[in-house]
Amino acid sequence: MIELYHVWKRYQKASWALSDVSLTIPNGEFCFITGPSGSGKSTLIKTLYREVVPTEGQVIIGGRNILRIPNHKIHRIRRHMGIVFQDFRLLPHKRVFENVAIALRVLGAPPKDLKRKVFIALRMVSLQSKIWDFPTELSYGEQQRVAIARAVVNNPRILLADEPTGNLDPALAHEIFTLFKEINAQGTTVVICTHDRELIRRFGGRVLSLHEGKLRERDAE
Amino acid sequence: MTPAKLRYFLREALHNLWQFKTRHVFSLTIICFSFVTVGVVLSLSGNLRAKAGELSKNLTVIVYLKKDAPPADRDAAEAAVRSSPLIGSVRAVGPDQALDRFRTNFPDLRDILQNLGTNPFPTSIEAGLKDAGVPAERVLGFIAEVRKLAAVEDVQYNREWAGKVRALGRLVEAVGFFLGGILILASFFIISNVIKLNVLARRSEIEILRLVGATNTFIRVPFLIEGVVMGIAGAGLSLLIVLALIKSFPLYLGSSLGALQEIIAFRYLSVSQVFGLLGGGGLVGFLGSLSSIGRFLKI
Repeated sequence: MIELYHVWKRYQKASWALSDVSLTIPNGEFCFITGPSGSGKSTLIKTLYREVVPTEGQVIIGGRNILRIPNHKIHRIRRHMGIVFQDFRLLPHKRVFENVAIALRVLGAPPKDLKRKVFIALRMVSLQSKIWDFPTELSYGEQQRVAIARAVVNNPRILLADEPTGNLDPALAHEIFTLFKEINAQGTTVVICTHDRELIRRFGGRVLSLHEGKLRERDAE
Repeated sequence: MTPAKLRYFLREALHNLWQFKTRHVFSLTIICFSFVTVGVVLSLSGNLRAKAGELSKNLTVIVYLKKDAPPADRDAAEAAVRSSPLIGSVRAVGPDQALDRFRTNFPDLRDILQNLGTNPFPTSIEAGLKDAGVPAERVLGFIAEVRKLAAVEDVQYNREWAGKVRALGRLVEAVGFFLGGILILASFFIISNVIKLNVLARRSEIEILRLVGATNTFIRVPFLIEGVVMGIAGAGLSLLIVLALIKSFPLYLGSSLGALQEIIAFRYLSVSQVFGLLGGGGLVGFLGSLSSIGRFLKI
């Protein structure tokens, strides 16, 4: 479960990026965070994996207040999360296999287990045939699918996606969201940050809307 | 650390070394140059120490006799030397024998002898000390007594030479280690800066590793391995160069040094010195890398 209590965030002397945000996302939920550019969507999602530390408030993930975890132990929380970005963040000089395997290597997975899990993750995103390609040899849609495979390869409890379809055309975006739905169907909590109202309308789910850092909830419709 | 992780770290470190090979070759050259300096110093000072040791083991008092001394006086001088309780062996060396010895030991100086026309060497008595550990004062007392004899022209004692050679060895070590120390310090900063550049070049990769839950150690170890590999490789390369110098020095320069050849000569490094240099290289690489990731890889 994800819980935020009275979270405020201000970058230096700028206006508030998050303003008294409180929310609860139960396990297994499929949830959108939406709003116009600069509304605080990315800041909110970054607070969930503690890339951003709130100015005030509490962030509780799986019953643990992640703001009280020392920096050198934050990896323990991140190992239960998968994170997908708009710019994919793949390692260009490493093959698809290694890009996905890195999430298991940090856990010290044995080689046999690692190969099996990477293959399963790539099969899930239909990229098993591209396992030895480099990311630069793939289309944008394929690169994002590799990023999703990396995010889910260690069966995370939470999947966070920050504008995952921002660089993709509508057909590919639909494909990616279908994947997120499938992942969610397996019990993973999925939180997607997007401003694409059409996709939200099509896929449905809980919608948290941000405007100038303030949160309000609305229907997918 | 599991074998799989260790394999991963080594592969990453070697891959990164290859990826930024130009800067690594540059730093390797500097490390190598630094350790060549230290290796040469160790080799030269090792030779000087060994020479001093040889001289100390064979402490000899050489008594030069006057050319015009009557035979009776000569015999008296030899008898006086033989009767001393400090002396273990006595050997009389005639002028012809001394001349032959000089010709053999210093072939470059043969011309000087030919120009002289006569044999300049006097008869001498070489008296080996019974015990190398005998106090210097007792030997000096004995020499003073011998000097008083009518047939004696001069007396030389090679303990002074051993001391001089040893002092020269210490001087070479001091100067060499000072220079080597400065160069090794430079190597440290170069490794540190190269690793810093590597960290900056791989910032996005480090970011991804952090996001997938990598520990600080997991991110840092490949950089440390890079530093250690650079250090050991640089030191290893320097050992090869020192070996080449040891082999080629007598062939190309040794003979031109003439009488100094005995003093200015390279000696093979001992096994402990070889491992010391390799370990030193690894340590410099490790510390250089550590200082860099400590400052530029705060996670």
